[in-house]
Amino acid sequence: MPEDDLADEASHLTIDGDNPNGDDIGFAAKRLAHEARKTLSSGGGSRGIRDVTQEFAAAAKLLQPGQLVKDEYFTLFEAVGALEIMDPKMDSGYVPPGDTLEPDFDVCKGLPAEQVLWIMDELLRLTAVWHDGYPLSQTIFTSLHVDRLLSPDNRPPYHLFYGDTALLVMTTEQRLVHIVLRAYCIALVKSCALVLHTIQSQNFYEEEDFVTHLFGRELLPSTGANDAVKLIDEAVKFLDGADVDKVMRTALLERLQFARTYISLLVSDSADWNTLAAMGRSAETHKLAQPILEAFSDKVQRQLATSTPPRPMIIISWDEALERWKAICADIVEADRLTCFDVCQSPHALHRAIWAFAYREPQPNTFARAYLQTILFASEQITEGMAFFDLMLTDMRDLVLAGDVLVDPHSFLVEIPSDPRHKCSRIVETFMDKAFDEYMNLYRMVCQNRCRIRRTFTQSVAIFDSLETEAMRTDAELDGITPGIVLAGEDGPGNVTLTPLTSWVKYYKLQTMAWTIQLGFETDIYLPHELSMMYWYLMVFARRERKLLEHIERFLAARQKTFVSSRDARQDDEAAASQEWLAVLHKQADFTALLSSALWQVSELLMTLCILQPAKRDYAQEQLLYDVRMKSYLGIAHDPIPTLEEYKSATQSDRSIEDTCNNINGTIADAKSCLAYMKKTTPEQGKYIGTGEQWKREIKQLETTCVAVAVQTSQLRRVADKHGKLLGAPRDQSLKGAVEVSIPPAGSRYHDWWVVPQIREKKT
Amino acid sequence: MADGEANPDSVQAVQYLDDLLNKTLHLHITDGRMFVGQLKCTDNERNIILAMTHEYRQPSQADVKLAAERHEKGGLSGNVKVGMRKRFLGLVVVPGQYIEKVESCWTTSITSQI
Repeated sequence: MPEDDLADEASHLTIDGDNPNGDDIGFAAKRLAHEARKTLSSGGGSRGIRDVTQEFAAAAKLLQPGQLVKDEYFTLFEAVGALEIMDPKMDSGYVPPGDTLEPDFDVCKGLPAEQVLWIMDELLRLTAVWHDGYPLSQTIFTSLHVDRLLSPDNRPPYHLFYGDTALLVMTTEQRLVHIVLRAYCIALVKSCALVLHTIQSQNFYEEEDFVTHLFGRELLPSTGANDAVKLIDEAVKFLDGADVDKVMRTALLERLQFARTYISLLVSDSADWNTLAAMGRSAETHKLAQPILEAFSDKVQRQLATSTPPRPMIIISWDEALERWKAICADIVEADRLTCFDVCQSPHALHRAIWAFAYREPQPNTFARAYLQTILFASEQITEGMAFFDLMLTDMRDLVLAGDVLVDPHSFLVEIPSDPRHKCSRIVETFMDKAFDEYMNLYRMVCQNRCRIRRTFTQSVAIFDSLETEAMRTDAELDGITPGIVLAGEDGPGNVTLTPLTSWVKYYKLQTMAWTIQLGFETDIYLPHELSMMYWYLMVFARRERKLLEHIERFLAARQKTFVSSRDARQDDEAAASQEWLAVLHKQADFTALLSSALWQVSELLMTLCILQPAKRDYAQEQLLYDVRMKSYLGIAHDPIPTLEEYKSATQSDRSIEDTCNNINGTIADAKSCLAYMKKTTPEQGKYIGTGEQWKREIKQLETTCVAVAVQTSQLRRVADKHGKLLGAPRDQSLKGAVEVSIPPAGSRYHDWWVVPQIREKKT
Repeated sequence: MADGEANPDSVQAVQYLDDLLNKTLHLHITDGRMFVGQLKCTDNERNIILAMTHEYRQPSQADVKLAAERHEKGGLSGNVKVGMRKRFLGLVVVPGQYIEKVESCWTTSITSQI
């Protein structure tokens, strides 16, 4: 039997269950085969439908209450997602008694200009809401005119009237609907298609960021963006000569112009979104619009293909909608500015630019972030003349190998196979291939929503660690061909080499580790009593980064000494620029280490004094909690992170409160001097070209944070003094009940990456 | 899998329902809609869970009119065919109390003719 063969074949679609995922895949294959067998059994031949109502009812009645007959692979967990038919809250097709299936509104009837204006503005409002991530079924699809145009019964050229019952002689009001409103709707729908295309071509997270579901509808496939523009132009021509009030005419023309500009911007690569922003003037004429609520209805959901319950239409005010539009335009314009040619010449400047974009207030929406990704990743290069390969090579050059022939672009052009430069270049290329994806992720992932940035970087840490193994091997191979400079060891006996690729990977590994903790503070994943430990680890990671930078700087200095003065100045310039930049990075790492040290000491003090305590958990074991929290870092093979024991032995609970406070103040003072240094850095030195404003602003926020830490420390000191506990060891003291502490949530901190506990004396 | 009962009638009932699992059913409910999907689960109240479900509706007056117009325009002869309105829903549970008719699809095997 052919169908049985098919079922048999399906059952052979198994995968060896050797790997850890094999069980899941094997299970799914078995289930598929089982269902296929059942559905296909005794197929072929003739088919028909048989009424089994009585039999079914009789059989069901013989079951025990609560007894289920279900497919063995069907889980009740899945059943929870089933839509209950006839329940108005779940069944989008349910029509309450007395109600009609479809809204009672004739989309073909003519409307006065004021009402057409209102519908156009309402569609504008709903498009802004859709941009925010709400599904079409709750926004644009609720327009009955749009619903008619998109109806499965409709055919190109998509008129509002079905069949071909064209209204040959139309009144002005009818023309306003069939020419003006129709053109507008079609343009907006095509714009949606273009926006969806941009978003879906890049990285985003469905449901979290945006809903791309089309509910079984197509977005006017036979009509192109150019056709839409033509329709608008015809509508404009009609309006110019129409018998419509002058003010109304201007208002309607403005809306048509908006739709035309919007779709033109989406189609062209280099266009100025500022022109769209300027159209916010439409706000004034909005007052003239006359509401016609019947033209929109959530009843459209009854006919849309949807596996979700019915959902309400979204309400935001007209002003809010305009703000959203302005924000979208501003974000696009800024994305273009931040990725201009000059910025793209420096990988680090570009990196800063993308972070600056992600941290705009309000956060750029999914479309804007997809737009930025399109600029960077849609073509084979970052910008004119800067391929991804060039970007990565420049990054290596700027960070670890300035002036070194190893990453000189000319070395890669050498063709003589016996030339060491040729040999080394091929080896470096192979390594770069392996590192490529994760390196580009450093740029791409920052274009995601904040929580996802943290989560993906958490996974990157492990990947960088395994890349480090590869880098070590590659460095050894390179050293065999062209031995690098050897210097005396920094700590301990023996000599060291630069191991450039290893250092490069290590830098990004440590940087990513630090970012995951910083983002953890920002996304509030740590409980108050965990602050101490996380700050300590941040301090450790920053200190390691600082040490690595020192290592790189040493070798840069040594390399500079080897430059032959008669050679071209390019080498010297490159090395000098790198030196200045490494100094800035060094200061930044220093600052992070100092501030996190200060905050570690503050948090630890609060814990030791029993002001900040974890909730009582009888069954919680310290090591288990630690393992869960530090899970992403535990797998690191190269320079593993300090253990829980090592963290605990770093405690300062022997020192008196006074000494600790003094130490904190000293640390803060050092941190402030780092900031002073960074303040004097030029955009070229610090590689923050294009993001000067953000640089200054961040330094200010960090200064304020430092001051806040000092203030809180003195608060604590004052209270401790009052209770006479300033000089004893904190371990034996407790200020519980005398002090209360609050943790400011993200959004109300001076800098969202730094949590400064607010200390307040309890008035008894 | 369902638990069998010592009662032979009940065992037979379970067997009957079990054989219908993963088969395509057409459920007609009280408000005139029809749901077509694969049977996944049922209980003694005749509540039915269907997977990969499509919802069908009788065409409205307007639908009939439109089809007739197009039929005429197209110069076709014979009866006008008006399709039922259909949309995809996915996993649904139809409470037994609303079910008016249950139909199953039957097929005959080719080999039975050999």
